[in-house]
Amino acid sequence: MLLPRFDFHDPASVQEALDLKKTYRENARILAGGTDLLVHLKKDLVSVEHLISVTKIDELLKIEEKGGDITIGACVTMASLAASGLIGEKLPALKQGAQSLGNHLIRNKATIGGNACNASPAGDTLCALLIYDAAVILQNSEGAREVPVSDFFVGPGKSCINDDELLTGFRIAVPPAGSGADYIQLGKRKSSEINVVNVASYIEIDPANQNILNARIALGSVAPTPIRGAKAEQVLAGKTADDTVFFEAAEAARRDDCKPIDDFRGTAGYRQAMIGVLTRRTLAAALAQAQGK
Amino acid sequence: MKKIISVTINNEIYEIAVEPNQTLADLLRYDLGLTGTKKGCDTGDCGACTVILDGDVVNSCLVLAIQTDGSVVDTIEGLATEEGLHPIQEAFVEKGAIQCGYCSPGMIMSAKNLLDKNTNPTEQEIREGISGNLCRCTGYQKIIEAIDSQKS
Ligand SMILES: Cc1cc2nc3c(=O)[nH]c(=O)nc-3n(C[C@H](O)[C@H](O)[C@H](O)COP(=O)(O)OP(=O)(O)OC[C@H]3O[C@@H](n4cnc5c(N)ncnc54)[C@H](O)[C@@H]3O)c2cc1C
Ligand code: FES
Ligand code: FES
Repeated sequence: MLLPRFDFHDPASVQEALDLKKTYRENARILAGGTDLLVHLKKDLVSVEHLISVTKIDELLKIEEKGGDITIGACVTMASLAASGLIGEKLPALKQGAQSLGNHLIRNKATIGGNACNASPAGDTLCALLIYDAAVILQNSEGAREVPVSDFFVGPGKSCINDDELLTGFRIAVPPAGSGADYIQLGKRKSSEINVVNVASYIEIDPANQNILNARIALGSVAPTPIRGAKAEQVLAGKTADDTVFFEAAEAARRDDCKPIDDFRGTAGYRQAMIGVLTRRTLAAALAQAQGK
Repeated sequence: MKKIISVTINNEIYEIAVEPNQTLADLLRYDLGLTGTKKGCDTGDCGACTVILDGDVVNSCLVLAIQTDGSVVDTIEGLATEEGLHPIQEAFVEKGAIQCGYCSPGMIMSAKNLLDKNTNPTEQEIREGISGNLCRCTGYQKIIEAIDSQKS
């Protein structure tokens, strides 16, 4: 398969990349790991005149904890996320997402920024970004803005990023003690498969009485974008964490929150049923973690 | 417009002009005649094109040649020496881990990279390590046995 002709740019800094983006706008695309973009170009699904490669820009490759926040550079790969002690300890559901993406080879290239910009409803890191309430950092040559990740996705393959912008990273508040999170994805096989359904849950409890202080649920592959399970979260708010309330939340997620479709990977009915099951399982695992079990 | 890159392939430095839209797999196969690296799908699905790029395995069909300027690439051709096959290659032959052989160069590069990083992988780690490499023939079991026999 042939790639179309394009000019290749290899900027050394974010500023240089942004200047190129400003000059070429919609005629230029950012190239990160290339595991989506090069495939789409080969299949003639997108067109491009300029590719701007950003994977060698140091500041996009960092994972840092500062002032109660963890920032993750856009070009951090799945392999690096999965290997990071900081991510494993503080953002375990994101580690789980990174570990379940694609296969060993793809994870060495695929970046978290690329996963977000590709905006697939099934994207493996996106549910974790939603439950950790990540802020997406977008820059153009004039400055930076932050968008809550729940506003970032606007449709399948579409985000709110502008033509002159670069996604430079994500900012996530370090979850407090007494919190836990979990992610489960189901596919037809373990490797290299697009998810049939995927769910992440986050829970924060008051250790004195097991009351739920905060709960966030994210549902993948059941709507045009990954979404928050708002109705399920409402069910949990302020209740005592136990199997009964998790069951009610799972019912709400299944009934009210998701609108899955039938496709060759699975039927809408199957997806809807599994949303309930996975919501319950991820909540139970998140609670066990929050209780230090 | 072509650009001249400098890339070390199997310990040899190449200064070579590449088109921006040329993949590393095509550079290896068509320009350098290193046809040990195979192409099955050209879209990242099969792993036949696996090479080691700066110490990590990648699908060379999803890497632009121009991106490898200044990099170190290891392909299947770099494994055998004058003394003969690399021990991992020997093990694949011994254990019957090769049938048609189309997946073998990629599979062996994944196996080598795994064993370079982890001299004593568990069966689960071996399965993970070759999770990006498809084989239509062997059913994988003999491949896993061959890699397992190279633990130290
Ligand atoms: C065999 C195979 C299996 C896969 N399996 C999975 C899977 O299980 N789960 C899953 O979620 N995905 C999977 N994918 C899809 C893909 O690997 C991921 O979406 C990956 O995270 C994309 O990241 P990338 O760095 O390769 O992005 P690229 O392909 O480089 O870019 C993707 C898009 O995002 C834009 N972009 C990238 N970075 C930025 C940035 N910093 N700022 C602005 N725009 C940017 C690009 O212009 C492009 O439009 C698979 C792909 C393949 C080939
Ligand atoms: S040819 Fe590269 S993965 Fe199949
Ligand atoms: S031996 Fe034929 S594909 Fe693996």
